[in-house]
Amino acid sequence: MKLIFKSSAAALSLMGLALTSCQPDIDDPKSSAGQASFTTYIAVGNSLTAGYSDNGLYLEGQQNSYPSILAKQFAQVGGGAFVQPLFDGPNQSNGAGYLKITGFVNGSPTIVPETSSLAVVPGSLDVVGTPPVPRTNLLAKSTVNNQNLGVPGIRVADVQTAGYGLNNPLGFNNYFERLLGTANAASSYQQYVQERVTTLKPTFFTNWLGNNDVLGYASSGGTAAPLTPVAEFTTKYSAITDILTAGGAKGLLATIPNVVNVPYFTTVPTAGIIAQVRSGVVPATTVAGLTAALGLTPTQAASIRFGLFITTTGTPAVREATAADLLLLPSSSVINTPSTTANPLPRGLGIVITGLSTAQTTGLSAAAPPNPLANSLVLDAAEITSVQTRTTELNNVITNIANQKGLALFDSNTFFNGVATNGLAVNAVNNTAAFVTGNLFSLDGVHPTPRGYAVVANEMIKAINAKYGAAVPGVDATQYRGVKFPQ
Amino acid sequence: MTVKTLLLAGGTLLVSASAASASGFQVSLGGQKNIGMGNVGVGLSLDQAAMFYNPGALAMVRENGVQVGVNAALARSSFRSADGGPQRTLQNEVVTPFNFYASFGPKDAKYKFGVAVYTPYGSKLKYADDWEGRFALTEINLQSVYVQPTFSYALTPQLSVGAGLMILAYGSVNLQKDIPLPTGPAHITLDGTTKTQFGYNAGIYFKPSDKLSVGVSYRSKIDATVESGDVSFTGLAGGASAATVNRGFTATQFSATLPLPAVASVGVGINPSEKLTIGLDASLTFWSAYQSLDFKFSGNNGNAGAATDANTGLVGGSNVSNSKRQYQDALTFRLGGQYKIDDKLTVRAGAAYDFSAVRDGFVGPETPDSDRAIGTLGATYQITDSFGVDASFLFEGFKERSQSQQDLVSNGTTDRVAGTYKTNIYIPGIGLHYKF
Repeated sequence: MKLIFKSSAAALSLMGLALTSCQPDIDDPKSSAGQASFTTYIAVGNSLTAGYSDNGLYLEGQQNSYPSILAKQFAQVGGGAFVQPLFDGPNQSNGAGYLKITGFVNGSPTIVPETSSLAVVPGSLDVVGTPPVPRTNLLAKSTVNNQNLGVPGIRVADVQTAGYGLNNPLGFNNYFERLLGTANAASSYQQYVQERVTTLKPTFFTNWLGNNDVLGYASSGGTAAPLTPVAEFTTKYSAITDILTAGGAKGLLATIPNVVNVPYFTTVPTAGIIAQVRSGVVPATTVAGLTAALGLTPTQAASIRFGLFITTTGTPAVREATAADLLLLPSSSVINTPSTTANPLPRGLGIVITGLSTAQTTGLSAAAPPNPLANSLVLDAAEITSVQTRTTELNNVITNIANQKGLALFDSNTFFNGVATNGLAVNAVNNTAAFVTGNLFSLDGVHPTPRGYAVVANEMIKAINAKYGAAVPGVDATQYRGVKFPQ
Repeated sequence: MTVKTLLLAGGTLLVSASAASASGFQVSLGGQKNIGMGNVGVGLSLDQAAMFYNPGALAMVRENGVQVGVNAALARSSFRSADGGPQRTLQNEVVTPFNFYASFGPKDAKYKFGVAVYTPYGSKLKYADDWEGRFALTEINLQSVYVQPTFSYALTPQLSVGAGLMILAYGSVNLQKDIPLPTGPAHITLDGTTKTQFGYNAGIYFKPSDKLSVGVSYRSKIDATVESGDVSFTGLAGGASAATVNRGFTATQFSATLPLPAVASVGVGINPSEKLTIGLDASLTFWSAYQSLDFKFSGNNGNAGAATDANTGLVGGSNVSNSKRQYQDALTFRLGGQYKIDDKLTVRAGAAYDFSAVRDGFVGPETPDSDRAIGTLGATYQITDSFGVDASFLFEGFKERSQSQQDLVSNGTTDRVAGTYKTNIYIPGIGLHYKF
């Protein structure tokens, strides 16, 4: 009996040894490049391509840029090295500076600029001349054999502008300037792309230009850069894409997201603020003074209330806000703060009385004019419509070019609309388009966090895989951080 | 050996089982002889393990006896994310489901009584560090030990009935996962033991001839309830974020109920010759009792400052956690046989097919369930007339199973991960029996 027991025990342990090699294999998806070749990858675009995050470009953001993430995944299916213009000089890792959370007051984050270890060239921030003119600061040059051509701030409208990155007193794009050498200091972006393509001979590219052609207008409440006309966009976007495909490279184009879905436009709740302002009690002395000055009836006097007032490009230029207007993120630190002008009303507030005659209205304007929010703090309903209409028009251009050229397309507009509506669960982690807590958008309310960029990279990979019959593996986006909290 | 000491022995056994050998987290490893023949047994009266398979058949087992069996379940699970990336594997652990039976009764009496100790449900899985689903689950260990005093009575020489009182003598749960925080991943552990609960196992056995026997049996549902398990956190936020982040994590205790579902079975036994026995079983496990896994949290560890009702019992800012299961009743078909080569040696073989309890889109890392094909081998060597060794080997191959993120979104099950699971389980087992 003893013998049998021993030999069975030995058999069991032998079985155990044999079993270590019995791990079941899951074959799919098998990694492959399909019909694409990722040997040399080049990325064209703006701040999103550069890895801009938290209102600045800095080393961590660059290392987590979607082109960098893509290149690492491409490397698993034959892709080569990918060189980025990193802020990797000594004590330069904070690049152009960025916003960070240092602590919390009653649960609200204290957000301050990072000012140490910047890559700003000493002295380039000096204010010169009489009267003084602030200069565009210079950032540490990069002389690498660059494959990430993302230039923060660039519009498709800018790509053919000579001297776009040339250091001159009238202002220039300092992110572009740092990529240029002495020989091509006055190059346009398009010429720079041409030079890079000639030098690198890319086999694969991504082009995510176009956001700033609507974003500049939207984030300034319609006051800064105009929306790029469709014809101009079409010409210049085609020119860049033609350069990229000339050598037979395959690639991916990406559409422009609906910029008004991002936290910069959605965090300050217009309807809630309007309700809060309206519920404010108008002081009795003000009511009495206005009643006397304008000869108000008791009914009119009873209707006196506060309202939220904005400045618009329409007519009238100053009007009460409605829930259809979007208050931009910076307005949260302005609304209902003490006046900075002679107007005694807090900023953004005005007096509203219903049923006034024309004379009384004029009288009210003279006696207690509203203290409206600046035009740049509000994207009003008409402006929203213009932004969205133009976005759709420009996306049609991008989609058509992708189809004509047989390129993959990442429809970021559809994707981010979905995120804004439903959130995005990734590996049992919920992400949303909310400011600070949503994980996907950084502290500037526009640019993604590393998590957001990882999600973008995964979506691009899906589009590439579908178009080229490839099986490039995606990443576990939960391995990338959302908004960083201090520890 | 008295019944009392047996009960004590059962209570102190450290028994766990992987999600082996039946749908969901059911563990159908009732007796070594039965395991060797595809786990059939409802229509047979092989040995004391009848107390598990069909208490009605116990009175038809000729001899009294004591038997013990232990299995080493070696699960090999793989997972690949829907996004691609590296194949993840479970950290390989061996779990040892256990069974023990003893029966008594005067010779030639119409009745027998006995006691059974077995582990009908359990699961133990530990995923690789940093795997994609770590925010759904990193580790689970479910254990249950049933102790079942049993009585069986032969109404006629052809017909017997039996019933046992199933006592959930020991049950425990340990669930662990990571928590995504803006300061980096934290970790939560839920750990508790179950209340003692009762159920029944009853069966009827009919043997109209030497060549044929049939049986039906029913094991009732037992709710495994943890009333005040421990909640513990590690890796919560420190420094300037501590107050803001950690205020949502104040719970110290949890309560939850996990149904251990009822099983109804029918079986047929055929004896074409003295030497050959063939069994055929069909079982239905009423998994639809498992609709959701709900935790209630309580207690206050002071992370939110002075305790108030609003800041007590929070995990991620909520004092409940609800996760959809919506399991479906699952069928299993089994076929097996034994052949008695001589007085010393009996050999066995069997096969089974087990349908998954988990619907598409609901597969989670704690039960990576799928339809399973099962093959078994077994043998008994009779050292003396009354003492023998039973060996068994069971292989279970799970059908590869995938679900996409879209499946999860449309089912409201995004608390788990999209990807493909595949599992193989190897269960060698050995038992000893002594007849008297």
